[in-house]
Amino acid sequence: MTYRLIAAATALALTATAAGADGITIASWGGSYQKAQSEALFKPASEAMGITVKEETYGGMSDVRLQVQTGAVTFDIVASGSGSASRAGAEGLLEELDYSVIDVSTFYPGLYMPFCVGGDVFSTVYAWNTETFPDGGPQNWADFWDVEKFPGTRAYRGKVAGALEPALLADGVAPEDVYEVLSSVEGIERAIDKIRELKPHITVFWTSGAQHAQLMKDGEVDMTTGWNGRFDVAAADGAKVAYSFNQALLDYDCFAIPKGAPNKDLAMKFLAEISKAEYQANLPKYITYGPTNKAAYELDAISADVAAMLPSSPDNAAMQLPIDIEWYAEWETIASEMYQEMLTE
Amino acid sequence: MRDSLTDTATEALPITIRGVTKTYGRVHALDDVDLDIRSGEFLTLLGPSGSGKTTLLMVLAGFIRPDRGSLRFGDDEVIRLPPHKRDLGMVFQNYALFPHMTVAGNVAYPLRLRGISKAEAAERVEKALETVQLGGYGARRITQLSGGQKQRVALARAIVFEPRILLMDEPLSALDKKLRERMQIELRHLHDKLGMTTVYVTHDQREALTMSDRIAVINHGRVMQIDTPSRIYDHPANRFVADFIGESTFLPVGRDGPVVAYEGQPLSYTDTPPSGDLVLMIRPERLRILTGEAREANRFEATVTDIVYQGDSYLMYARLADGAEVAVRGVIRSTTFSALPEVGGSVTLGLDPEDTVLIPAGDAPDE
Amino acid sequence: MSEAALPMAAAATHADDLRRDARREQLALFGLASPALLLVMVVLVIPVGWLFYLSFIGADGSFSLENYERMFDSKSYRRIFWTTFEISFLTTGICILIGYPLAYFLAQLPRRAANLCLITVLLPFWTSLLVRTYAWLVLLQRKGLINEWAIDLGLWDEPVKLAHNMTGTVIGMVHIMLPFLVLPLYGSMKAIDRDYLRAAANLGAGPVRNFWTVFLPLSLPGLFAGALIVFVLCLGFYVTPAVLGGGKVIMVSMKIASNIELFVNWGAASALGVVLLAATLVILFTAARFVKLDRLAGGGH
Repeated sequence: MTYRLIAAATALALTATAAGADGITIASWGGSYQKAQSEALFKPASEAMGITVKEETYGGMSDVRLQVQTGAVTFDIVASGSGSASRAGAEGLLEELDYSVIDVSTFYPGLYMPFCVGGDVFSTVYAWNTETFPDGGPQNWADFWDVEKFPGTRAYRGKVAGALEPALLADGVAPEDVYEVLSSVEGIERAIDKIRELKPHITVFWTSGAQHAQLMKDGEVDMTTGWNGRFDVAAADGAKVAYSFNQALLDYDCFAIPKGAPNKDLAMKFLAEISKAEYQANLPKYITYGPTNKAAYELDAISADVAAMLPSSPDNAAMQLPIDIEWYAEWETIASEMYQEMLTE
Repeated sequence: MRDSLTDTATEALPITIRGVTKTYGRVHALDDVDLDIRSGEFLTLLGPSGSGKTTLLMVLAGFIRPDRGSLRFGDDEVIRLPPHKRDLGMVFQNYALFPHMTVAGNVAYPLRLRGISKAEAAERVEKALETVQLGGYGARRITQLSGGQKQRVALARAIVFEPRILLMDEPLSALDKKLRERMQIELRHLHDKLGMTTVYVTHDQREALTMSDRIAVINHGRVMQIDTPSRIYDHPANRFVADFIGESTFLPVGRDGPVVAYEGQPLSYTDTPPSGDLVLMIRPERLRILTGEAREANRFEATVTDIVYQGDSYLMYARLADGAEVAVRGVIRSTTFSALPEVGGSVTLGLDPEDTVLIPAGDAPDE
Repeated sequence: MSEAALPMAAAATHADDLRRDARREQLALFGLASPALLLVMVVLVIPVGWLFYLSFIGADGSFSLENYERMFDSKSYRRIFWTTFEISFLTTGICILIGYPLAYFLAQLPRRAANLCLITVLLPFWTSLLVRTYAWLVLLQRKGLINEWAIDLGLWDEPVKLAHNMTGTVIGMVHIMLPFLVLPLYGSMKAIDRDYLRAAANLGAGPVRNFWTVFLPLSLPGLFAGALIVFVLCLGFYVTPAVLGGGKVIMVSMKIASNIELFVNWGAASALGVVLLAATLVILFTAARFVKLDRLAGGGH
């Protein structure tokens, strides 16, 4: 084991020297997502600041954990899901962000936290097959649960993240009380019981965005939960799918600085730069995820038509329930075990 | 005196084979074979490999379906009967003992199939094992047995259900020489005791001569000769049989009516020779070295070319005037070997008229 | 006396030399094996040891049994193990039911035809597991080919649930596992001397009795080997249940993956791996005893 760590550390140390003094290294998820980030955020911001940005892809917070634990940190900034960033922060793997440097005054509340600043916004929505429901699909979570009004098969998330809130909303809990109710084992059990109620109609518990998009495309299910961007892509591809932002869950991806990052101060300044509205406004050109900075909507870059499709446009955001990262940090592992219990029944 | 494994004796069956033919592509494995096997006799099918003897046995057992022909056990036509309904005992070359059963399990197998009660089966199995001198071996595993023991178990299994016909496919070929010779005698005794019609396949002429009531010599899918061992040896029907069984030298002879001459010298003989072209067959042990005694014999002048010492006998090779080489075998006694002429010396060989065998010059009966 | 001693001494010297030669040969042989031994050490012993060690490390980094306690306390873990073994048994059973007649058929064919047929059996090996699994999804889902054709042909009116459940998972796994059963089985059937079957027929066994009393028992070692391979491979399956199980059929491997994602340490996942490994070893050990017994029964075969 020791040998492995030394080898890994050596390899990382070698790559670390490759990044110049006047530059930073950013790690993200790759693919079309990172391409959008690169075009809209990284490249313009690095030009404006006159620094070099080295982009890498990584395997998530477990990579950061390895780097921090071996003291050979090479990433200055990592892109992450809000939940895992929150847990990594609690674990002590991330630097606290300096919000006197990063201006989040025009951010949506809740889209930044001590260790992570929001980079893009997406929604967990309910989507339906427009052929099965030609007269309009469900308009809230109660409808999603109503198998008499909307008969048909459903798909639902196979993991606990974003799975409990809709159940409570369908059960009549007010949006503002959802996380309060969930902050006890009984509350979690209440949400899971509600899912148990629907379970006979749930054909598939999906585990990836690609999967829930394909399920709708193939007509395997008539209704599913899922991430809005995927359904837009599927619809553009000819799938008979529509969704609504009403009662959807507003979630975000964020940027964080690993503990002991080699260019921590520069990274902080870079985060301040890409959080500005003018960069954020360009993101929807490349992917249908919304900016975290509200001010971006006031710029010309986002037309009204595009804005209507984005989760974080003020009108859409107002209908949604923002994900509570702190609740996930505290309760996710417990809730996850309980959720799995339900799945295996 | 017939004996039986049970008290109810069963009669042996004669086998009648008529016009059995089996071809593989253009090769005749069996070519219009006719053969009568007598009830209760020990008949050996003898021939070189590829002669068709095994094919004929497989046809008898039902494992090979011939192209045409008739096969009767007693009065019943069985040519279309599947193997498991033929009720024959068979001993396979590699024994084919079931490795997943014990010795007793193997021997009891045919009884089990015939619905014989466990108690009776156990009794008969033990009796069969005793018959092959393996009493008390029932619980052993097949892998724990020596080659000879396996052979006996295979035999016990083949006779335990008292088939009226027993087939054996080179059953002794895997055993060493000493054991083989002992088993030959045992098998023969067992046959005499049980009295079932036995068809035995071998390529070993000595084995055939030792065990059989009659031998059918097979070649190219045809029966070359069927007769008693001594008739086969002493009076082969053709050159193939003479050549295949025992050692022999063939000398060309001329024929003019009843006079048969070798190199212009008329031969005296006792048996009427067959018609057509003839050769003189000389067995090495029938030639004698003449030392001037008066007895009437056909005489051959020759030159000694080699002498081989073989322990119990010697083999002397000699060249006749026409260049043909003959072999002479003699028993070694303390005086005979040293009295032999030296290599290069001349010698007079004698052949008694009774041993002067004239056979057709061709290889096969109709050649 | 001294004359006699000389050859004796020479003989003794040779004995030493010969012994040294023998030892050198053994060393050379060991040298040949050493790369493989080293590889086994590096890729097998060390990771498994590490896994074992990690499973006893709690979330706070100290020695703890919490990873195992969680497994015994929670019903879902028990169900996951149950599902894993249930699917493995079911898949193995169906593989035997389909694979045995198939191998039997192949073993009866002439060599050339059998080879050709074997290639078609092996063909699935040459396509990616994921592709094959998705192909099954295309066939089995609600609006998949099988349901659409069956409804067109009037076999059934409503789509039958073939995918996203246990049925789909087992269908997909049987397809993938079948060659692993057929190959060893075919080999052992081919190795059965025809004379055994002839002997049985000669002794009075008709084709059916012949099969049950001779052919089947003699093919059992191959069947056992194949079934064992299939069963053990099934235990660790991930892709097929993940794609065809609809998220409700959860096997141990999937739980391992989700534990790595969910918990901050590897111990939770390692503990699952250790328990699965232990369960597999118990089964292998039990099975090995049967196989050995069977070997004895199978004799030199």
